[in-house]
Amino acid sequence: MTKGVLTFCINTEFYRYDKIAHKTLPLLSRNLGLPVTVVTNSQTHDHLKDIEGIEIMVIENQTGNTIDGKPWHNLDRHRAYDMTPYEQTLLIDIDYFCYTDNLLTLFDTQEEFLVHDQVHDVTGNNTYDFRRNSSIPMVWATLVYFRKCVRSKSIFDMVAHVKNNYDYFCNLYRIDFKNFRNDYAFAIALQQLYGFGKFPVIPSKLATLPARAKVRSVDQQGITWEVNGQHGIIRHTDLHVIDKGVAHV
Amino acid sequence: MEISELKKISDRSYDVALAKRNALEKARSRMLLAHGGHLFNADAETINLVKTMSDDHDSFYMLDANDNPVLIDSPQEFLGLLKAKNQEALNTYHQAYQQFTSIR
Repeated sequence: MTKGVLTFCINTEFYRYDKIAHKTLPLLSRNLGLPVTVVTNSQTHDHLKDIEGIEIMVIENQTGNTIDGKPWHNLDRHRAYDMTPYEQTLLIDIDYFCYTDNLLTLFDTQEEFLVHDQVHDVTGNNTYDFRRNSSIPMVWATLVYFRKCVRSKSIFDMVAHVKNNYDYFCNLYRIDFKNFRNDYAFAIALQQLYGFGKFPVIPSKLATLPARAKVRSVDQQGITWEVNGQHGIIRHTDLHVIDKGVAHV
Repeated sequence: MEISELKKISDRSYDVALAKRNALEKARSRMLLAHGGHLFNADAETINLVKTMSDDHDSFYMLDANDNPVLIDSPQEFLGLLKAKNQEALNTYHQAYQQFTSIR
């Protein structure tokens, strides 16, 4: 059974995700030892050519979504199921810094689809308490494990349906975030397809460095950051880094 | 003690407490174990249950981390894996903890 990592990397006029990819993709390859496929567009492609050991898939990405008034190219995530060349796939955000081999455990399960439903703010500020921002619990689409199967196919197809009718679902679930967000699209899809009950999750917390924390350094062992004059360091821990300034550190 | 000194101690204590929390969360993440196609947390609760059940059962059912029922038909092997995973994670945490204690 083939296993691998799939990630999307599409630059905007404001953010150089390819520069982040140059930091995260070698970590993925080194610590997971799995093949990596990067989905990108023709404009970003040229900036990724020098990264060794990855497969590149060029698409014409959908545009139109924004975050904080800036373009946000997150509208193609639901296509991951059809795009992945692997039977077992880890779909990972390009800003996920993989410093351990913990994720390999997921490939040894019979589960068909897994996401995080809990997050751990490494700055200690409990930034991600979204309980009052919607009537359903959010999941984190930062890291999705799935197998090629009917269940996973139905989830990704449902995400596409939610995306195409996002205003309706936002109203239905009283979601505060009016711009399309994959985290909520997957949460809605899972609610719908698992009988509005429990669905399988990755039973650990997604370690995250929130946007307010500015990354000061990145090396092969970990990351240092600063928030409100407070300095922090985290080593040998997988970390989702929101600060896009990490591209230039 | 001057307030500036107290502030330094307070800041340092906060940093140490945060580092401990992050190290503990890292240990918990490391305790994730796949066995027989199911996910388990190699924590004290799981180890205690498996140990207790294996005392008088050659096989038994339990719930995995996602509440799926699982037949455990080789309890001793499973217990060994759980304990090894648990101690690997806690050994790392202990080393980090010792460092934090020394800089308090």
